[in-house]
Amino acid sequence: MASSNVRQSSFWKRTPAFTPSRVELVYSSTAHTDTAADLAPKAKQQPAAAPEPAAEPATEPEPRTADLNPLAAAGPPSPPVSSTLEDKFQALLSSPHVDLEQLKKLSWKGIPSRHRRTAWQLLMGYLPLNGSRRAATVARKRKEYADWTAQTFQRGEASLDRQVWHQIRIDVPRTRPDSPVIQHVRVQRSLERALYCWAVRHPASGYVQGINDLLTPFYCVFLGEAEVDSVSDQALAETEADAFWCLTRLLDGIQDNYTHAQPGIQRQVVKLRELVSRINRPLADHLSAEGIEFIQFAFRWINCLLMREVSLANTVRMWDTYLAEPDGFSTFHIYVCAAFLLRWAAELMQLDFQKAILFLQNPPTAAWTTQDIELLLAEAYMYKCLYHDSPSHYAATATRR
Amino acid sequence: MDTLPEIAATFKILLIGDSNVGKSSILLRFTDDHFLPPDEASATIGVDFKVKMLDLDDTRYKLTLWDTAGQERFRTLTSSYYRGAQGVILVYDVCSRESFDHLDEWFEELSTYCTKDEVVKMVIGNKIDKEAERAVSRKEGAEYARKHQTLFLECSAKTKIGVQQAMEELVSKIAESPTIRRSPGRNTVTVDESVSSGYGGCGC
Repeated sequence: MASSNVRQSSFWKRTPAFTPSRVELVYSSTAHTDTAADLAPKAKQQPAAAPEPAAEPATEPEPRTADLNPLAAAGPPSPPVSSTLEDKFQALLSSPHVDLEQLKKLSWKGIPSRHRRTAWQLLMGYLPLNGSRRAATVARKRKEYADWTAQTFQRGEASLDRQVWHQIRIDVPRTRPDSPVIQHVRVQRSLERALYCWAVRHPASGYVQGINDLLTPFYCVFLGEAEVDSVSDQALAETEADAFWCLTRLLDGIQDNYTHAQPGIQRQVVKLRELVSRINRPLADHLSAEGIEFIQFAFRWINCLLMREVSLANTVRMWDTYLAEPDGFSTFHIYVCAAFLLRWAAELMQLDFQKAILFLQNPPTAAWTTQDIELLLAEAYMYKCLYHDSPSHYAATATRR
Repeated sequence: MDTLPEIAATFKILLIGDSNVGKSSILLRFTDDHFLPPDEASATIGVDFKVKMLDLDDTRYKLTLWDTAGQERFRTLTSSYYRGAQGVILVYDVCSRESFDHLDEWFEELSTYCTKDEVVKMVIGNKIDKEAERAVSRKEGAEYARKHQTLFLECSAKTKIGVQQAMEELVSKIAESPTIRRSPGRNTVTVDESVSSGYGGCGC
């Protein structure tokens, strides 16, 4: 299980600072063709017919960022955060009315850890952009949540929906076993409450396994570097409320991933398969010839937003970008899944059904650094630029064939 | 790659049952002889896949094992994996009356997606290491299995007891069953052409 990847006392210590990398290159590039050209220089020609020339870079991934940046392999301690980036966030977040577009633009490239809590809450739409309204809004939201939990739990466990509560109770202890923060008993009780409250407020989906994973990055980011033992009850309660509201916002955008028959996931798996066959037809053909169905590996990638495949610290970095992207957790995530699969294209081409499934079930991401994630995001962005809103490419190719 | 002795047959085996009864733990014990403490194992999302060779009476079988998520919401997904299975293991937790009571639902699920004569069924009661918390007696489990004409065993993925034995019994029953359609015993997985469309269609 990929979740056994990293065991750290404080996960974000591993989060290296933003390093100007290809991500910047991609993001600052506005014209789609330029983006492709920027990213393409080292691409090999693929002999097999790809839908279009611009798709070819995907078949030969760029060299790992680790090769380009010697710091990447160094691990902790992190290099100092670029002061200009820190300053930019500082200036932006302390302005009376935060410029959301500017915040998204900055956040796409990674948020410095000390600004992440505020930045995420703004990007989530939980905090108002208008600074003068922030304190009152948060106080109201926290009170609303506190009242709701008090009311829900006042009559004890017997009054709860037994099935929902049971499922949450058995899942919380096995949530993110690699994170001491999440495994802390106080955080565990807190997760249970927040998940239960979310579930009973959203009966169309209710609690579905995997939603527990999605709640954890909020706790890690909102608690910051504090030791859980030293966090006051009130601070933990506030974190719980903030996390609850942010989870609600997050799931609002992807709720049909968790409703009956999980239509959101089914639809996105189809999209992923189409996308991959446009980008790398030989890989798609190989998987198909081996009898490998995308749902067999991609279901979990979508249900848990790749959180079972990458470490919590890497997830946090991914979410900086997801929050800055329109429909980051749905639309953009599929491009990330495509980039994730295509990263292993060369290996997968050599594997039969059984070996490929085993490989994809446990991809070798244990040593992944922020640079790996940023490369993945950059590749996803490139695919998005090339393929999003361009179904005609696919139609044209299909007709020609 | 295992080349010797030659694989006599490949069997597809599916594990079903409520959430947290220990399906993944039983498999991990069987395939890797390993056990993860409860706080180190994550819940299965969707379906996990494992492969294991099993030698029985000088005959080698390849088992492709599909470990399904227990939560109800995943049924739509997991139901697509029943097709082509030669063995299905229904797991309950001997410390959870509820998981035992839900076996009826799992049998119903099974009869919907599997042809009656083509699959060997086995009921397994897991977690017998927690004797003090036992909520379902061995007799009850055996009685239930008799009623449904399935194999029955109790085991503990934690202490190993019964796990290997369960798999061996299941496989020998599959091997001696005349009505079960066999995949050729090659190393490659054979895809049943009649079910190659739709997901989960791999007849391994």
